[in-house]
Amino acid sequence: MPGVASDTVGNGALVPFSDDTKDSLAVYPLHHGLAPPISRLAISWSRGNSLRVSLFASPSSSEPSSTSDDQSGGKVLEVKLGVGDPEISDSRWRQIAYGSVAPFALLQSRRSALSAMMNSSSPYQMDWWEHMLEYSKDITSLLGGPKLPPSPIIEEPTDIVKKGEEPTCLKAAWELLEIFYADKQSQAWLPERLVDWLADYDSLFSSTQETVYGKLALFQKELVNIQVIEDDPRYWQVMSSALSVGWLDIVVKMLRLHGSYQQDQLSNRELENGLVEAVAVLISKTPRLCHESTIGKLGELFKSKPDFIKAWEKWRSQITKLDCSPFWIQCDNRRTREGLRNLLQIMLGNTESLCSATCYWIELYISHFLYIRPFTMGIESMYNLAQKCIQLKPPSSNHKLTGLMIVILEENTEVVLAESSREFGPWLVAHAIELLTAGSEQAEIVLHEERDNLGGISMIELHRLVYAQVLSTHELTWQIAPIYLTSCMKQGMGLLENLLYRQSVQHNDLLLKNIEICRLYQLDHISSDIMKVAGVYHWKHGHKGAGVYWLQQSQDTSRLNRIAQQLFDSVGKSISDESFKQWEGLIELLGSESKPAGGLEFLHKYRDFKKSLQQVYSGKSMDAARQAVVSLLLLMKNPSTPQRFWLPLLYDSLKLFNWQECPLLNVSEINLLLNKLQELSSARLHPHFSEPNLPAEALSSIRLALATNLGRAILDE
Amino acid sequence: MAATAMLEPERPIVHRLPQHKYIDAVRWLPQLSPFDRFAVLATFDTDSGSSSIEIHSLKPNPLSLQSHSSFSSSSRVSSLRASQFLQKTVVAASTAAGSLHILFSDPADARFESEVSVPEEEGLHSVPGSCVDLMDGGVECVTVGEDGRVNLVSIGNSNLSYRRLFDSGGLVSYTAAKWASPVEFATGGYGFSLQWWDQRKPGGPVSQFKANWDQNFSAGIVHSIDIHPSRKHTCLAGGSLGTVFAWDLRWQQQPIMLSGAGAGAGNTGVQSISESEVWDVQYDRCIKSSATSTRILPAMICSEDGILAVIEQGEEPIELLAEPCAINSFDIDRHNPSDVICSLEWEAVAILTRQ
Repeated sequence: MPGVASDTVGNGALVPFSDDTKDSLAVYPLHHGLAPPISRLAISWSRGNSLRVSLFASPSSSEPSSTSDDQSGGKVLEVKLGVGDPEISDSRWRQIAYGSVAPFALLQSRRSALSAMMNSSSPYQMDWWEHMLEYSKDITSLLGGPKLPPSPIIEEPTDIVKKGEEPTCLKAAWELLEIFYADKQSQAWLPERLVDWLADYDSLFSSTQETVYGKLALFQKELVNIQVIEDDPRYWQVMSSALSVGWLDIVVKMLRLHGSYQQDQLSNRELENGLVEAVAVLISKTPRLCHESTIGKLGELFKSKPDFIKAWEKWRSQITKLDCSPFWIQCDNRRTREGLRNLLQIMLGNTESLCSATCYWIELYISHFLYIRPFTMGIESMYNLAQKCIQLKPPSSNHKLTGLMIVILEENTEVVLAESSREFGPWLVAHAIELLTAGSEQAEIVLHEERDNLGGISMIELHRLVYAQVLSTHELTWQIAPIYLTSCMKQGMGLLENLLYRQSVQHNDLLLKNIEICRLYQLDHISSDIMKVAGVYHWKHGHKGAGVYWLQQSQDTSRLNRIAQQLFDSVGKSISDESFKQWEGLIELLGSESKPAGGLEFLHKYRDFKKSLQQVYSGKSMDAARQAVVSLLLLMKNPSTPQRFWLPLLYDSLKLFNWQECPLLNVSEINLLLNKLQELSSARLHPHFSEPNLPAEALSSIRLALATNLGRAILDE
Repeated sequence: MAATAMLEPERPIVHRLPQHKYIDAVRWLPQLSPFDRFAVLATFDTDSGSSSIEIHSLKPNPLSLQSHSSFSSSSRVSSLRASQFLQKTVVAASTAAGSLHILFSDPADARFESEVSVPEEEGLHSVPGSCVDLMDGGVECVTVGEDGRVNLVSIGNSNLSYRRLFDSGGLVSYTAAKWASPVEFATGGYGFSLQWWDQRKPGGPVSQFKANWDQNFSAGIVHSIDIHPSRKHTCLAGGSLGTVFAWDLRWQQQPIMLSGAGAGAGNTGVQSISESEVWDVQYDRCIKSSATSTRILPAMICSEDGILAVIEQGEEPIELLAEPCAINSFDIDRHNPSDVICSLEWEAVAILTRQ
């Protein structure tokens, strides 16, 4: 590894360093438990994103203490690089990966069905948006954090900030992409959706800066200690902040905590209470464009834009009227008066009020949508507005979601991809790229264009391949990588073949799962190769039956032939004794003769022959003897019967040739056997001929028996 | 994602419970009180690389599994059985390294109390795979393996003793085993082979199943066997290519095909619900068969292509679950046969309740 050296410091801690990163040097102690000094160190890549560090203790130091067991000569450690996502655990990531398979596969099959029709005129296009949105919703539901225990039925009146499910940045990013790219139908009320988006995810920004959510949460904690709430300046500040980002429910709820509502005070604070209530009513009547996510929220909903505009104008005039009302002078509570009028200013869109009520630029941005420019249209003007808000509230630190929001507004698809990849990882990019292609035709062209600098693949393929590689490195997720690889036209299949070849063949379950994937994608040549590997593996490890099975499955005749030779050696030795029983199972496995068995099918007949011969020896049976002769002739005629078995076979059959009652073989059959003997004696001259392990007089006694049988047969005929 | 209920009348209620660990095997524990339900899970945590056998208790509203007691195993569990013996719950687990663990738990609190094992060094099986079956009443185990060994293990309170009934020396591998009676059991292996054994007759299988399979049909591997206590002469087997067949000892040469890709030719009555590996098969004690005594009893299967179904000879198969991932094992609760627990490839357990 260039630029990285390792040194042992203190108690054997490893310190990576290079010249240009000295400023940002980080030290991670490795607890290896070896006594220093360490003599050698080797670092290599392990599975996935981890390093394998091998440490060797110096031999001299370990020698004196070699009596104790805990002193070992070395140690191998796996070091996981990167702390991972603090928000989402590894197992949660895997759940997300599993869950996103079905929506992704469904979308791909719909896409290919669509392109098969090739008739992308408007009705299909219409459908396509719906499919895309369905896909996006499926993924969103998958990202929903773990459900929190159900909230108490009786709500505390002081419970202002409600905690739903724990939001994650990943889900926030996905929804942001959905708002801008997938949900074309709600494009008209895009700002409205952003308002809702911030309401759901404002808490996430608290990690890097002050937020309205953070202010509210803090205030809620102190609420119990406050005696007269309306005298506390924070009460009014927090309310104005909540109102500025449009959290109407919260503001109304907080207004109702105002002291003037208390029974004993109502009579002498009637006017003050009237003003509070008037503002509360105005807030709850804020006109909003209707959208599915606004259901159940405060505000008056309007479905069509003209109705909304009309209501908006009316609502504004009501606010102005209240603002100019003479009652304010009669209200003697200064804090109430100022606080309420500030709320009115926010609703009237006073830039200064908004600016001081909000905490960072996105909140200010949202407040603009709500109170200054509710009709903002077009991404370009939205971008300009964002720039203005950033100028008014320059960000002190960068949050990954604000970064994403900016690049989306900049409308550069490639930059959006790069930013998502950098901040949210390969899962998000591989899945969100579908939404981006839906963004515009231009984006689709950019993403599908084959690029020379990427080795001829498109951006979309690149990101899928990257994600598939991540899946491939984990032993539990590699099985879903093929779904992504097969959607990659150029290099997917090649990588899939690599992936399948790489899996272990030792365990049947895993092997069969691997073969099943081959079957699904019709990769017969790969499954055949894998089975060959498995066959050889089992054969080498002494599982002969399993080895033969897998080689048969892969139809590997040449290897079966070769191992057949090895099998014959042990057959020749053991077939006569008891252990023949062990062979029976293997012979069964070889199955019918039609299957490739590499000469092993000869074993079937041999088994039959041996069985009838055993019957002959155990008791005299004419039928068994005749059966044995039939088997013998079949064996001798069969070209697959190895030559070296001929003599032992004939020697075993001596009793048949010398059968007392009648000759069992006719003339032509005897001639066949004699010819084989002749062939054998000429084969003996061959240098590689191996002499069977038989008594010296075996050959002559066979000749004699055959001759005797021949004579009797001739006489009979 | 915690609970997905399908409310059509004939569909079972399904709860999918993510476990964040790979589930190697799953079994119900024999139920001793009507209020407590327990299941035993063999899990593998890839983050820490550790395997364990865990008792989980089933909590209602919403249905969830809560880890209750755990035993950490040295190697991954390859097969798991649970039974009851002398007021104790017995769990038997064979591992990929060839060891066998017997765990006892007190049924009152369902916690592991003691463990006896045959460690891998004793060479019960050489690697890679082995399979165990626990006799009903739990005094004896049979273990078989790819190494071709057939062992009988007697369970004592503090120790295990085993004897080797047969060793094929690797010429034949065994991949499944099931007791038929206190002295007889069946095994399965490559090439859809089945063997019938009798403890009283050592030296080899008493009977071997030799099928005359169709010539174009390539016989696969038997993954699971079941034998019904009322019909000990019939051996039900499930394996590769969606194949489920029964072997009647009285008609030895011809298998009775119940499902499978290779079942097609000439066997028009056979439906095939899956074409991939059938990982587990069990007689379904829930469905009252309308069939006459000559028919094979209804059976439940689970498969690599994510199917959990009930098949019955001559009937349309009933699909209970169709998952996007493999269903690797399942178990039908003996006391409530309408409840089924199964392990999903994607680190989850599914619990089904049939109406």
